[in-house]
Amino acid sequence: MIENIEIDMLLEAIYRFYGYDFRNYTRPFIQRRIVQRVKKENLTSISALQEKILRDPIVMSKLFSDFSINVTEMFRDPSFFKFFRTNLIPVVRDYSEIRIWHVGCSTGEEVYSMAILLQEEGLFEKTKIYATDINKSVLEKAKKGTFSLADMQQYTKNYLLAGGTRAFSEYYKVVADQVVFPPALKKNVVFAEHNLVTDSSFHEFDIIICRNVLIYFNKCLQNDVHQLLYESLSLSGFLGLGKREGIRFTSYGTCYEEFNSTERLYRKFK
Amino acid sequence: MKFRAKLYTSTGSIVVLISICVIILMNMLEQSMVNTDVVVTDKYERINMASTIKYETVNIARELREISVSQSNETLESSIYALEESNININRAIESLERIDSKGKTDGLVAKYKVLHESYLAVAQQVIAIKKIDSKAAIQPQLLNDSKLTGERMLQLAELLRGLQEQEMKNELYRSRDTYHWAVSTIYFYLAICLCLGLGFMIWIIRGMTKNLNHVTTVMKSVTNSSPDDLPRIEIFSKDEIGAIAAAFNKMVSELEAHSKLEKQLIEEAGERSWLKSKIAEILAMYPKAKDVQMLAELFISKLVPMVGACNGVFYIKTVEENEQYLKKIAAYAFFNQNKEFQCFRMGEGLIGQCALEKQPIFLNQVPDNYIKIRSGMGEASPKNIIIFPIQNEDDVLAVIEIASFESFSPSQIKLLEEVIPTTGITLKSILNHMKAERLLQESQSLTEELQAQSEELQLQQEELRTTNEQLEEQYAASVLKKEELEKVREQLEEKAQQLEVSSQYKSEFLANMSHELRTPLNSLLILAQILSENGEGNLTEKQKEYVRTIYSSGNDLLHLINDVLDLAKVESGKLEVIHRIVDLHGVKDYIMKQFSPIAYKKGIQFIVQVEPDVPPSFYTDEQRLQQILKNLLSNAFKFTESGSVSLIIRKVMKETDRQVIFVNNHIECMLAFSVIDTGIGIPREEQETIFDAFKQADGTTSRKYGGTGLGLSICREIAYLLGGFIKLTSEAGEGSNFTLYLPYDQVIKPKEVTTYIKEASAGLENEHYSTEFTNKMDDEDRRIKQLGKSSLKNKKVLIVDDDIRNVYALTIALEKYEMEILVADNGREGIEILQSNPDIDIILMDIMMPEMDGFEAIRTIRSIPEFISLPIIALTAKAMKHSREECLDAGATDYISKPLNLDQLFSLMHVWLYRKEG
Repeated sequence: MIENIEIDMLLEAIYRFYGYDFRNYTRPFIQRRIVQRVKKENLTSISALQEKILRDPIVMSKLFSDFSINVTEMFRDPSFFKFFRTNLIPVVRDYSEIRIWHVGCSTGEEVYSMAILLQEEGLFEKTKIYATDINKSVLEKAKKGTFSLADMQQYTKNYLLAGGTRAFSEYYKVVADQVVFPPALKKNVVFAEHNLVTDSSFHEFDIIICRNVLIYFNKCLQNDVHQLLYESLSLSGFLGLGKREGIRFTSYGTCYEEFNSTERLYRKFK
Repeated sequence: MKFRAKLYTSTGSIVVLISICVIILMNMLEQSMVNTDVVVTDKYERINMASTIKYETVNIARELREISVSQSNETLESSIYALEESNININRAIESLERIDSKGKTDGLVAKYKVLHESYLAVAQQVIAIKKIDSKAAIQPQLLNDSKLTGERMLQLAELLRGLQEQEMKNELYRSRDTYHWAVSTIYFYLAICLCLGLGFMIWIIRGMTKNLNHVTTVMKSVTNSSPDDLPRIEIFSKDEIGAIAAAFNKMVSELEAHSKLEKQLIEEAGERSWLKSKIAEILAMYPKAKDVQMLAELFISKLVPMVGACNGVFYIKTVEENEQYLKKIAAYAFFNQNKEFQCFRMGEGLIGQCALEKQPIFLNQVPDNYIKIRSGMGEASPKNIIIFPIQNEDDVLAVIEIASFESFSPSQIKLLEEVIPTTGITLKSILNHMKAERLLQESQSLTEELQAQSEELQLQQEELRTTNEQLEEQYAASVLKKEELEKVREQLEEKAQQLEVSSQYKSEFLANMSHELRTPLNSLLILAQILSENGEGNLTEKQKEYVRTIYSSGNDLLHLINDVLDLAKVESGKLEVIHRIVDLHGVKDYIMKQFSPIAYKKGIQFIVQVEPDVPPSFYTDEQRLQQILKNLLSNAFKFTESGSVSLIIRKVMKETDRQVIFVNNHIECMLAFSVIDTGIGIPREEQETIFDAFKQADGTTSRKYGGTGLGLSICREIAYLLGGFIKLTSEAGEGSNFTLYLPYDQVIKPKEVTTYIKEASAGLENEHYSTEFTNKMDDEDRRIKQLGKSSLKNKKVLIVDDDIRNVYALTIALEKYEMEILVADNGREGIEILQSNPDIDIILMDIMMPEMDGFEAIRTIRSIPEFISLPIIALTAKAMKHSREECLDAGATDYISKPLNLDQLFSLMHVWLYRKEG
């Protein structure tokens, strides 16, 4: 009970002072992250954390990092990319320009995956990918295009499962325990900071990929974001959600038809 | 009189009249015919007789004359015969005339004629008798005259007789004409009477009939205008057929009236039913709009209340709170009572509760005035009738509605309620179920999402933990390594010491010579030269002093050279130090001029040193190293230039303006470029990359012709690199070459970091992404290996299975640089044998197209051995073979790389698959 009030106050304080609005994130998630931060900071209460956060921006940035979960993979859920390649690409192949918004791109693994996929399909030249995230530091990482060597085995498997047509090793170079992807892959990619909660739509897109972003938001915010996505999506544009997400119970559920229900790909039709 | 009788009498009388007429006519005709007959037969006969008499009389006379004059017997005989015949005819005619006509006149004439005739005949007899005696006797004329007179009188009489007969006939004819005229007029008379009578009948009958018929039709016509309930009747005047029609019509009209009454009744019933049905349909149509119970209740109550003519209604839904059932008001129609008491009822509480308990509707009539009030803006009044209805589904009360009305409820309204409410029950239930399902689904969806969030969080935490763990491990490993290294170093030192003592005698001697034997005398030489140049005793000529100075500076150079040789070793081992300080560019220029002018002069080559005006006078770098590089480049230039010029141009390069120059560090804005340009033999394009490699020269024969170790450029490049710059070469064979040293200007030198390499690597990827040429990269690799010190490939055991010996050779060379242990097999079978005898192999590079046992089969066989299920196997596929890639993966290859091999790609790949295999 007290904890709840404390969390409310903390989130309000963050919003008022730093401008980040976490008030509509799912409560259990926020609670877990805050409690964890309290422990890590060797504090006794959330109120104590609040004081620290208001006084010390470094703690804030730590908590901010706690709130942004950057779990991603290259070709995450390979079947999604496979389906994207085999069923969605033919639909957009003849577009004069393809605009993709990658919402919550995190460290960019999926953005690079998409770039590789589009390059292999010969569409990268006419594609523009807008990769956005709330977290500036992960965007910096994404811009670098260097990933940990440790995950590459998994990524290679994903690449193969996602129907890659070349050898994955053609795309990277190992430097120490890092893997570098060629800058050519980010040629048509714009990395930008964008906050789904407070920022508005900035373009009209043919495809919006918003995977495993909305799971951290409560129903109300989910609906708001869905409105934003809906408004940013062109008619008969595609919306890709995460494996465990759904659109049915959201405010814009009726505006989309299922393009593929298992891959959570939806197409706007009105 | 009946219509039939009328028709019969009228037509009958006409027939009778005509018949009478005809009979009369017939009679008259008969009469006239008899008359004519008489005329024709009787009169004609008499005339005929009279004529016969006349004729025969003439004949007698003539015959008698004949007789009297006849001379012969023969003629006498024939005449007598003829005479007698005529006599007979006359007698016969007289007889018949007497018989037919007995009239006085005729009789008198006939009698006279008879007398005369007899007298005549007597005369004739006398004549005849005379003649008979003598045929030639002459007859007395007296006698002849007598006969003649008698004959003439007889003729007169016959003529009279005939005239009398003709007169009579004429009379007869006149008589018959009169009869005919009379008959014609009689006929006309009869006809006129018949016509009058017939017309009279017709008019009488037709008038009688049309009058009745008109009456009937007028009545019948008036039927269309009169209401079906009250149709006009026909008054019956006559008992004829019209009367029957009228009677039949009257009967029909009564039937129609009865029928229309029935129909009206039926229509009313049907209307009521259809009202009921349409209202039910309206309510049913409303159900799908309802998304939840609240909406349903609101829609339902707002629809139903006006439908039954009521003006107030409340909808209570059954809810369960704390194990107790309540009926809660959720929707109302024109309800005004705000009292909390009316918001909620327990089961059995009040009429609402009672109704829910009994599951029966409750009707309240004549409720008191102050029971409830229905209000509008203009006033208020109390409804008189209230119905409370339970809404059930399968005997389970889900809700209760209460409706109030000013009017009493009509049976059809109640029927509507009875019909509608069960359907509401079903819909309500289905909506409740649907909502429940929806809620559950939504819950499950949010649970899934929560789960996903948690799993991501966990993944992140796991990642963090792993990182921490790795760091710890690394630290631990590092400390262990340090320890081991220390131990090793100690051991190595011992060993080295021994080796130095035992086996590296030569090297140590060489080093000793280098360091001691060369430097010591050189140092003394330098000191002595310095002393000499000071010319303490003043006995040296200027020229001699110059010589001494040259000795000194050359010696100094030699010392530097020796140092350089040592430097190279240091560079190679990464131990070269750079000392940055302010360098005066003019000093550099003077130094270069001083150093190379004599050579230029000697070789007859033009030597130009040019400093662009925008170049700053001084900058921050290691002067010695700069000089070293320039000296090297210039001496090379002079070495390879036979004629023409050698020039050194120093200029400033801005990042914005000079795009061609690839800036290694993005944050460096400008650099100094030292271009050494010669007009010498130049370097062929294909060798431009290799000349920077250690111990390489453009041409194998170069060393013979020009001498040199081939170390210079590689040292230069390394040094340039250490100074934060680089060397670029542009050259055409036979045209001369241009080596440009780029050095950062005004830059804070930082030790090389991994990030720089990354940038370089990515730049490299961009430029040479798909280049298959790898030799040029080898240098990079070497450096990287050295600089990073650590490689996950080191000491790893790799098995190369390939039948192409050139491939194997190239791979072996490349992989040995990473200090990998290499095993080679010629084909799949051999590969498996080697693998089985060396189960500690870390990675296999497997060619696909091989004799005896190809790559697919080999991979499959290896994968069938449980021990090697997860062993990384990299398939080397031919680029042309599109399908082999899938086959490789199907066979069980971990990854693939296409030939011809890009070694960079291969190393990256091997790094990926050998990662974490260490330790």
